This record gives sequence, C-alpha cells and structure tokens, in this order.
Amino acid sequence: MPQGDYIDLHRKRYGYRPDHFERKRKKEARLVHKRSEIAQKALGIKGKMFAKKRYAEKALMKKTLMMHEESSTRRKVDDDVHEGSIPAYLLDRDTTTRAKILNNTIKQKRKEKAGKWEVPLPKVRPVAEDEMFKILRSGKRKTKQWKRMVTKATFVGPGFTRKPPKYERFIRPSGLRFTKSHVTHPELKATFNLEIIGVKKNPNGQMYTSLGVLTKGTIIEVNVSELGLVTPAGKVVWGKYAQVTNNPENDGCVNAVLLV
Amino acid sequence: MVQYNFKKMTVVPNGKDFIDIILSRTQRQTPTVVHKGYAISRLRQFYMRKVKYTQQNFHEKLSTIVDEFPRLDDIHPFYGDLLHVLYNKDHYKLALGQINTARNLIGKISKDYVKLLKYGDSLYRCKCLKVAALGRMCTVIKRIGPSLAYLEQIRQHMARLPSIDPNTRTVLICGYPNVGKSSFINKITRADVDVQPYAFTTKSLFVGHTDYKYLRYQVIDTPGILDRPFEDRNIIEMCSITALAHLRAAVLFFLDISGSCGYSIAQQAALFHSIKSLFMNKPLIIVCNKTDLQPLDGISEEDKKLVAEMKSEAMKTVIGQGGEATNDDGVLLTMSTLTEEGVIAVKNAACERLLNQRVELKMKSKKINDCLNRFHVAMPKPRDNKERPPCIPQAVIEAKIKQAAEKEKRQTERDLENENGGAGVYSASLKKHYILANDEWKEDVMPEILDGHNVSDFVDPDILHRLEELEREEGLRQEEDGDDFEMDGLELTPEEKKTLAAIRKKKSLLIQEHRIKKSTAESRPIVPRKFDKDREFTTKRMGRQLSKLGIDPSRAIERARSRSVSRGRKRERSVDRGDNDGGDAMDVDTPNKKQRMLSRSHSRSRSRPPTEVAPGEGFKDSNQKAKALQKARKSNKNRNKDARRGEADRVIPTLKPKHLFSGKRSIGKTQRR
Repeated sequence: MPQGDYIDLHRKRYGYRPDHFERKRKKEARLVHKRSEIAQKALGIKGKMFAKKRYAEKALMKKTLMMHEESSTRRKVDDDVHEGSIPAYLLDRDTTTRAKILNNTIKQKRKEKAGKWEVPLPKVRPVAEDEMFKILRSGKRKTKQWKRMVTKATFVGPGFTRKPPKYERFIRPSGLRFTKSHVTHPELKATFNLEIIGVKKNPNGQMYTSLGVLTKGTIIEVNVSELGLVTPAGKVVWGKYAQVTNNPENDGCVNAVLLV
Repeated sequence: MVQYNFKKMTVVPNGKDFIDIILSRTQRQTPTVVHKGYAISRLRQFYMRKVKYTQQNFHEKLSTIVDEFPRLDDIHPFYGDLLHVLYNKDHYKLALGQINTARNLIGKISKDYVKLLKYGDSLYRCKCLKVAALGRMCTVIKRIGPSLAYLEQIRQHMARLPSIDPNTRTVLICGYPNVGKSSFINKITRADVDVQPYAFTTKSLFVGHTDYKYLRYQVIDTPGILDRPFEDRNIIEMCSITALAHLRAAVLFFLDISGSCGYSIAQQAALFHSIKSLFMNKPLIIVCNKTDLQPLDGISEEDKKLVAEMKSEAMKTVIGQGGEATNDDGVLLTMSTLTEEGVIAVKNAACERLLNQRVELKMKSKKINDCLNRFHVAMPKPRDNKERPPCIPQAVIEAKIKQAAEKEKRQTERDLENENGGAGVYSASLKKHYILANDEWKEDVMPEILDGHNVSDFVDPDILHRLEELEREEGLRQEEDGDDFEMDGLELTPEEKKTLAAIRKKKSLLIQEHRIKKSTAESRPIVPRKFDKDREFTTKRMGRQLSKLGIDPSRAIERARSRSVSRGRKRERSVDRGDNDGGDAMDVDTPNKKQRMLSRSHSRSRSRPPTEVAPGEGFKDSNQKAKALQKARKSNKNRNKDARRGEADRVIPTLKPKHLFSGKRSIGKTQRR
C-alpha cells in the first residue's frame, strides 16, 4: 500500500505528465469563466450567499489595490495640528483658566441630585401595556381576567418567592427570567458576562421597574467586581449601572452597555 | 483484532465549510414556508424544529469526529507512542477536547432557545429567537476553527502511516543512517523505499512483507539513528526508537564495515552499546553490510575487537532464550545488497530465529494445551514384538488391481490428443462415431444450401418412408382420375371443339372482367362484403348460366350446396348423405360437414403436420412448437373493422344489482352502476 510521502516520491521518480503544466495553467484560466457563470446562474439563497462572498472579495481586492498604489498616487497633505497651537492673530492674548477641575464622583453626585442622567439611549420606543402583558383567564367559567403574564424578559432577585398562586396578579414565567447580562465597556470595547444585581429604572413606567421588567433602555445595576475597578479613595467598586441596548425577549440574552 | 488502518476516517471540514454545510442542510430539509396568520403553536413548532434540527446535525458531525480519531490510551502502546511522537499527545487531546466542549455548548444553546421559543407570541419574535440560536451555534464552531484545521492535518498524515500489525511476526531493521537498511528491504520485499546517498532519506517507518516457510513476515525499515543522548533526539529518530521499544520483533542491527556511510565502526559500535537495552528479549542479529567494498576480514584490529564485543552482546540474547550457545553463525552475518550475496541468508536467519522464539513462547503459554492435540500424535507403546499390519480383504485388493488394469486398457480421447501433439495441435475428429448406412459417407461434407433452398428445411429422417406413401397415393389417384385429365386436342369432334372454344372464350372474358374489377386496397371497401346481401349469387343463377353453355348443372349445384357450411336444411342433408359416389368432395369417413370444410380449407404445402418439429427450427418438442404457434397467432389480432363489440368495450355484468335497488337512501340518487 502507498506509505510515507508516496505522491512526492512518484513525482521525484517519474516527473510530471508531459502536459501537466499546460493543463494546470488552462484550468486556472478557465476558473475565472466558471466563477462568472456560477455568479450569473445561481438563483435563490445560494445566489445571494455567493453574491455576498464575491462582493466581500471585491472590496478586499480594491483595498489591497489602493494600498499598493498608495505610494504612486498623489493626495492632499493633512498636517496634524499640535495641542495648544493657536493662530497668529491670537498669539498675543492671555489665556484665562477656568475654575478648578472637579472630581468625577462629585459630578456624578450632583447629577444624581438633579435627576438628570446621561445615557447612551436617551429615547426609546414606548411599550404599550397590551404588548407587555398577556391576559390570563381564570375562574371556574374562565370569565375572570385580572391575572396578567409578563411577556418580556424580567429580573427577579435571588431571594424571590412567588405569592400564593391564587393571589398573584402578575406572573413572571421562569423561562423569561435572566440573571446575567452581556455588558460592554464603552472605552475598553470589551464585553463581559456580569450578574445583574437589580433593575434601577424602566423608562416605560414605575410599575415595570417594580416588576423588574427588562426592556430596551432599562437601567440595571450589574456586579462589576470582575473588572477590578477601584475608587480614588481605594475602595473596590463592585456595582455599576448599565443600560440595556437590545430587546432581550427577541434575542434570548440581555446586552447592556456600562455607564461610566 | 483491530486493524490499524487510519485511512477510513471521515474528512474533518474546516470551520466555515462546516457552518455552510449544516445551515444549508437545515434550509433544505426543514419546511421553509410560514406565514404570519398561522396559529401560534404552529409558528412555534416551525422554528423550534429548525433549532433542534441544526443542533442534531452539529451533534452528529462532531460526534463522528470525536469517535473516529483514536484514543491514544486505548490503542496498542506502539501506536500510542508513535502518534505521541508525531503529533504531541497534549495538543491532540486538547483539540479533541475542544470539539467535545463545542458539542456540549451547542446542546445547551439549543435547549435554552427552545425553552424561550415556548413564550414566543408572534412570528417576528420566534424568528428572531431562531436566528439568535443558530447564530450562537455558528459562533461556537467558528471559535473551534483552528482545532478543526489541526485535526484535518493530523488525519491526512495518519492516513499515510504504514499499517503495521504489532502482534504478528516482525523483523526490524535499525542502524546508522546510510548503512543500507532501505536497500535491504527493497531487496527482500516489494516495498519501494527511496534510496539516496544523503543521510535521513528515510524519514518515517516503512513496512514490507516477505515470506519464509509459508508464513508472512513484516519487515520494518526505520530511519537512521545517531548516537546522541535521549533528550536530544528529533522526531524522526524517535520514530525508530518507538518501534524498537514496543514491537516484539527480530532486530537486525546493520553495520557498515566499509565506512562509506560517513561514520566509523567505532561510532556505530558506540550507538549499539547505547541502545542495547532496547534489544532485550529480542532475537538480535548483527549484519555487516557493504562487504563488496570491504570484506569483514580486511578491517583493522580495533574494529575487529569492537565487532567481537557486539557479537558477544548478541550471543547473550541467544543464551537468554535458551538456544544453543554454540550457534555462532546465526548472530553475525555478512552481506552486500549491491551484489546480493548473503541477503537471503540474513533474511532466513532472522526469520528462523524469530519463529523459534515465538514457537517457544507459545509452547510455554497456557493456551497451548487447547491445541496441543493438533501438533502431537500419540503413538501407543508396543507391548510385544509381534507385527500387526493392517488387514485388507482379498476381494478389495483384487478389485483395485482390476480397476487399475482397466484404466490402462482403454485409450481415451485425451490420451489420443496427447499422443498427437497436445491441445493446440490435434483436433479430435467428431465424425468418428457417426452411425450411417454406408461407412464411407462419414467424412462427407454436407451442403447447407442447394438450389437456393435451405437443405435443413427439407431434411427428414423418414423421408424415404414418406416418399413411398406419397407415391402410393399418387398411384391411386392417377387410376381414378385417369379419364378426366385427357385433354388431347386431336381427339375432339368439331362440336366439342366448338364448345371448347366457347368455354375458353368465356373464360378469357371472365378473366378480363376480373382484371378490370380487381379489388385493390383503394377500390376495396374496408368492411368486406362477406355475405351476399342482395342474394344475387344463387345456385339457380349458376344453373341458368351453365345450361346456357350447354352443360348439365345438376351435379355442380349439388356440389355447391354440399360445400356450403351454413345450410342446414333437412332436404339437402338427406340428399347429401345418400349420395355416395362422386369425387373427392364426398369423404364418407368424416361425417361432420364443418369438419370436412375446415380440414379442406387449410391445405398442406409441406409434407409434415404443423405441430411436428423439424430439425433446425429450435424447438424442444411438438408441445413447445404448438405453444409457440398459438402465441404467434394470438399476437396478431386483426382489427375489429366490422364495428362489433370487443373486449375493450364497456360491459355491465349485472343490469340490476341488488345494492342499488334495495334500501332507503337519506340523500342522493343511485343512478350509477
């Protein structure tokens, strides 16, 4: 049986076919035409996927060509402006300094007092009640309609116990409960899988905040002890706020961005 | 016994292709059409099916990968070590472990998303969940992409490993590079190993097979080993060390006494002593190669001493096996692969020693007791000196002698053939035993076509007999009809001549008329006028016409009436029955008119009945021929142009079936039958 590098051995001993190189060259030349034929004839999903791949290749090719031609093409020169350099007509003026630099924590405390927050998603689409709740019928004749089931993702704390089923008005199904979220640090551009501590505010209303519903734009508090952040005073930060950026019920996961 | 054939592993696809394959399969094999208006449970089921199907496919493919790659701990330690040397056990295990975790992760993802899909209340939501699920699974596969590529490379290399059976008889060849190991294996087996003047031409193990005493031996060629400390050895040398360490084989240590490999005998001896621990319990033979360049006696004293030392070491192994200490020659051998002297001797010595060792081992093992009876025939001890030969009855001996004599007496055709030159030269005369009336006709050539006719159509074994019968019939006939056939023109009277002329004229007129009116395909109607619808042609008319010519019509009328099959009137019947004289029309032996009609209408053109088989027709017997004729008849069914009812026309078997005419019906009619 053929063993070891039998292909190379055969090549070494007997060489190539007389027409090997010509055939190879012709086959490669034909490949181009074949590809274009496929591109024209492929239909449906296959056609779309192929077109997408081809477009990506084309874009890449264009970029490499641009790179190669960089040295030979002429372009506008854009000099960097140094920090602190001023135009000639301002040279003789005195600069005035502003008030002392404030501490980041103090700024935050002030903002908190004012009730204003700078969040990545300032406006979100309002969610109507009939979208949020599903009406459950109960009773012997199924005529009572006071029970509601939450259809969105929720967060319940670790010590959560349900009210007796006869009395609970809002049902939060366990399949839609999330405990962890994928939090992105905006500066580090890294995503971590962090535990949710609680729901701070839901923009759709106070009722939803108290229920713990997670919709797009909700502010949650996450456990950041993994990141190892430290305050200037030396204390370890273990909870930070984050804002939910997706629709968790459609994606099956909670994605949030950290509010630094 | 597992056959260590790694060629049958399935190809490991790379990450992107893997994803493409699975996703396109999901798209093809699951239903694709869904609309917003479907019931919510149907929508959920649709998307759950897609998620589950994808997960199942991933699971299947990843499981085949994990199962097909051998587990290094479960296979023979030789292969385990070899694969460790080549591919690094840790990397290998890690890669497979990653595949395994990917499989589990995909399972978990599928479970979670199927759970979430249960709460989907709209098509859009379910669709988003399905997209998220599939996307996550594909991300998992993308992450293990490098592992998949690595495993594919390993698989390709493994497929080209030689298939060595670690348990069978093996001869191992080792030594410095360039001493002639590959040339030796090329000489004794059909393995075509590359032989080149540079060192490390052989970079891996090669296996060849050779036969000795009706048994098959594996011969394994190893790459050369240099004399280095164990830790410094590279992968190629480690291959041969592994083979030495794990295979129970006869070892041939090759020594190049001419020094043309580039290493002196001292270096080779040093190598020998450093690896001699690997030679324990193995029959060892030291082979001095390249004796055509430098005979063994011509080397220097120190070299001779070194060689002697090696020989004594090798002798120790012989003694260790309990073999004879005096058998010098089986330990140190010389040969030259170039001139091929001593090559076979070396092979035989190695195979012999290995065989002896294996047989001894087998004898000592416990399993031998089961098959000991096959090796050893127990002979009973003779209790006295009396001879007891086997007892054969006299009749049997005589019969045997007679049979032998008979066989010699008859000369068979085969003996004749052999005498006259053999199969190609002599062709037996098949006509020798023909039975013919005259023996001289045996060698005659029989013609096949005569006068444009096929002779075999006319050949008949009873032909003479039939000829006689026919002649007899002819003779009878000629006697009877002698008067009617004398139409000699000279003996006629003038009135007869006149009537003859009139008849002839009338005949020619009729012929001409007929030729004008002749019915061809165009003039003939498709539906034949079988019957005389207007009843023109009656016997009365015939009688009138004949009397016009001057002939008595009564006999003709009787004859015509007797031939008509349809008539069944009493008068005619009794008249016919009473009339016995009259020509061939009245055959008294066949009373039934119809039978007569039928038998007359089919004239026989051949001299044999239709169901008789002629030689050359190809039928087995007359039954077969009759069946064939029937089939031929049935195959040509004439078209029913008379517009009569045929078998394809609709038939209502019962005109008043009971189930349609009984019982009350709540709704509907019972018109159809």
